[in-house]
Amino acid sequence: MSRRTFIKLSGLAVAVLAASRLLKRPALGSAVSSPELPEGEGVITEKWVPTSCLNCATRCATRVRVVNGRAVKVAGNPLSRVSEGENCARANVGLQVLYDPSRATTPLKRTNPTKGRGIDPGWTEISWEQAFNEVGERLKVLRGKGQPERLLLLCGLNTVSAEDIIRRFADAYGTPNVVSANGLNNEADKAGEWLADGHYTQSAYDLARTNYILSFGASILESYKPLARSLRMWGKIRRERPNRAKVVVIDPRYSITALRADRWVPINPGTDGALAMAIANVIISEGLYDTDFIKRWTSGFDEYRKLAIDYYDPEAVAIMTGIPADTIRQIAGEFARTKPAIAWRGRGATSWPNGSYSSYAIFCLNALVGSIDVPGGVTYQEDPEYRLMPEPVEDDPAREGKARPALDLRKTGRFPAAEVVTNQVADSILENKPYPVEMAMGFNSNFNMSAPGAGRWDEALGKVPYYVHIAPFISEMAEYADILLPSTTFMEEWAYDHSPPGSGFAEIRIKQPVVEPLYDTKSNIDIVFEIAGRLGGTVGQSFAGIGDDAQGFVRYRTADFTSWDRLLEQGVWVGPDYEYYKYGRIFHTPSEKFEFRSGNLEALLKGTGEEINSLTCLPHYEEVKFLGDSGDYPLVLTTYQPLLNIENGSQNYPWAQEMFLVMHGAGWTNFAEINSKTARSLGIEDSDTVWVESPFNKIKVKARVFEGIHPGVVSIARGQGHRTGGEWARGIGVNPNEIIGVDYDRLSGQSALFNTRVRVYRA
Amino acid sequence: MARWGMVIDLDKCTGCQSCSVACKAENNVPHGSPEEHEKRQAPFWHKVIAVSNGTYPTVKTDLIPMPCMHCDDAPCVTVCPAKATYRREDGIIIQNFRRCIGCKYCIVACPYGARSFNYREPDDEEYHRPDPPPERADRGIWPFPHRVHGVVEKCTFCFHRIDKAVKEGKKVGEEVLPACAEACPTHAISFGDLDDPESQVARLLASRQSLRLREEMGTSPKVFYLPK
Repeated sequence: MSRRTFIKLSGLAVAVLAASRLLKRPALGSAVSSPELPEGEGVITEKWVPTSCLNCATRCATRVRVVNGRAVKVAGNPLSRVSEGENCARANVGLQVLYDPSRATTPLKRTNPTKGRGIDPGWTEISWEQAFNEVGERLKVLRGKGQPERLLLLCGLNTVSAEDIIRRFADAYGTPNVVSANGLNNEADKAGEWLADGHYTQSAYDLARTNYILSFGASILESYKPLARSLRMWGKIRRERPNRAKVVVIDPRYSITALRADRWVPINPGTDGALAMAIANVIISEGLYDTDFIKRWTSGFDEYRKLAIDYYDPEAVAIMTGIPADTIRQIAGEFARTKPAIAWRGRGATSWPNGSYSSYAIFCLNALVGSIDVPGGVTYQEDPEYRLMPEPVEDDPAREGKARPALDLRKTGRFPAAEVVTNQVADSILENKPYPVEMAMGFNSNFNMSAPGAGRWDEALGKVPYYVHIAPFISEMAEYADILLPSTTFMEEWAYDHSPPGSGFAEIRIKQPVVEPLYDTKSNIDIVFEIAGRLGGTVGQSFAGIGDDAQGFVRYRTADFTSWDRLLEQGVWVGPDYEYYKYGRIFHTPSEKFEFRSGNLEALLKGTGEEINSLTCLPHYEEVKFLGDSGDYPLVLTTYQPLLNIENGSQNYPWAQEMFLVMHGAGWTNFAEINSKTARSLGIEDSDTVWVESPFNKIKVKARVFEGIHPGVVSIARGQGHRTGGEWARGIGVNPNEIIGVDYDRLSGQSALFNTRVRVYRA
Repeated sequence: MARWGMVIDLDKCTGCQSCSVACKAENNVPHGSPEEHEKRQAPFWHKVIAVSNGTYPTVKTDLIPMPCMHCDDAPCVTVCPAKATYRREDGIIIQNFRRCIGCKYCIVACPYGARSFNYREPDDEEYHRPDPPPERADRGIWPFPHRVHGVVEKCTFCFHRIDKAVKEGKKVGEEVLPACAEACPTHAISFGDLDDPESQVARLLASRQSLRLREEMGTSPKVFYLPK
């Protein structure tokens, strides 16, 4: 343990200090007199509370310093091995999430029956009792009619414990319609791994031990999770080992990751899959692949090899990608010869209509060079084993309701491999297909901001007969609520959490109240317990014996890890060290090997009766179909998430706002970033106000003439353009989702985020 | 007497700005507003700046964390007519709010833009934090729980932490760090005694090429950068 770690650890002990009111001699010299202290400042209490963050899905372990009952500082928890005691800037912003002046402070009921964008709901304050009665009554009636599937549960960023409790509620109530935000971000990424090895998950990369990172549009230093771990490991691979890892970033935009990498290679948007196949072509034709691993632990290599050799010659791919063939050869050679190496796929490469296949093609490069379950390669995340809950008690309505098709068309011919198709739900609501939605409940969701074609969600929410919104603040989506239930922030509640894949080993952390809830709020776990209790019957029974409230539930689920007192004191539990080389049990495929030809997909499509051709089950590149004609709309619109875009659905945080775009030295705004040559040809100068117009909508935004962007691309940071909420978010910047069209990666159902064409002109 | 300095490894830094936010929290530095940002009046004691060169596709941008450089020959100290800015024996440049007359000469003189003028009224809620850190008794009047309108503010190298550590016999640079260095997830920021050859800062400077910003101005800054 380093000294640095030790000193942070010693802060974990809860300390109560009494400082004398009489100050010692001022440090600034005798010319300065002691200031008068206001009443009550003489005795100061201080404690450090181990808890965790929820400003992004990494959910880092933190310690919060509380002085005189007020949280004043967030720091890392050195006992966390995932982030090794570190946090990113988002965690610090937690203070402003807690003390946000625009928080919802009491349950609210709508009085204005008309719902729509910008329409005042006419909130009137009600008691929790009344709110629970009304919501409970609605839920009872719907279930009584035998239509529990018409309840839609929407989830934004919640704690893992809240996700677990919401799913349990859905199971007990009888609805298949739990819809998370994952379908907007990560599903094509996950499907790529599933096609190869049967794990429908984002990959864990052994960053600390790798020697070469080839990033395909992965925003490793801004938005990829687990972020704080990536940041810590970045320091390690650069200067804390004898050999400095090399990083190459493929991205149409000069991201922070590209900026800090050793080489930035701009690519034509949406062609990452072709590049991956060309790299495979070079590695195979030059005989640089790991023959031993491929022989023993993979299947389908011959077909894959033939495809790569026949169709993805670097010269041909150079034309598609805009990357010179020599560069492709050079990168491929480096990637194959530097061991261990990682091919890391990110949203920039996978959020396209061809996303799952690009994701698959990139992931296969790891197998090609033997970087599967080796130190410094792709690893297989161990999930923490929370104590199992008894199966929920199901009655006939619950069984029948859950057997109905889901609103998002997951696992149908439309989206065969999908687990969640977030953006489809808006259309399903509008079209009453496969059945109408009678009631919806949103937990921290904000899809009419965060989903492409955001305006459709406004219409859809306006159409839902009864909507209950549960969040700590009034977001764009809350405007459509019939009842708004104010929840606690993560600084005031009980929960358990863990990070998305990354560390390999398992680790959990808890959340415990850092301060008493500031307002008349309840945690969303407590809200679900209360509602389930009021529904009674099998739903109520399903929630008996699992702790009875949020604190009890956390205690119940974490009981197998360590003692409760120890967990409260330490805040984290870390599982056993990661084991590599588990080839006998990690491949969940028909061949029980890593598959270059996906048997999982073949089995799935045989089930749905879909035609399978010679390409269907192989990683390959499909030319992107763009939304909008290239003549009328010559540029491609992409978006990105800056680090200080807080993921909870608000952005009303001055610290995050004033350093929002570090690359541009700008805050409190976002820009349409446009290449200098393109700007010149359009007669646009830096800071000009421009229209960015797609075939669907247009927005007015400031232009930023930027050298770090592909000439055919215009890019806008996500996270701004709020229409409601506090003064530090409302009316600041624009929301690119307003003009992005609706399209999907077909296999995974993930929203295609970057295939909308636009034109840009001066306003 | 130690000579405190900072070494920032730009090869490790990822521009995440944890340092800047941690500084705001530690030192009760008020946040700005869109209007203040526009006028470049938002107060920062620590800020990450971007410096770009080149054209597409060979663009090169550096992200540089910028605390006060705590220059050995500090122009701000020279120009201050009220002796409100002075250099402590350990080399830390301090701003005494009570002596400052708000003339802003130091802001003009500082080649690093490290100083902010406090335009806000002290009754502004953001300025009042009735919860000063508990080491207050050790720290004298710093940091002010109530902010002072019309004076210049700047980074202190978190001297309240350093002074307490020195008094308690703790190792500055190992056990105790300024808030920005402590918050850095990549461990890019090191702090310590430049005159102690055993200190981490001295070892880093001996092992790598380093640079200081605007050295040609003869300010002798005590913040060093290690380039890629």
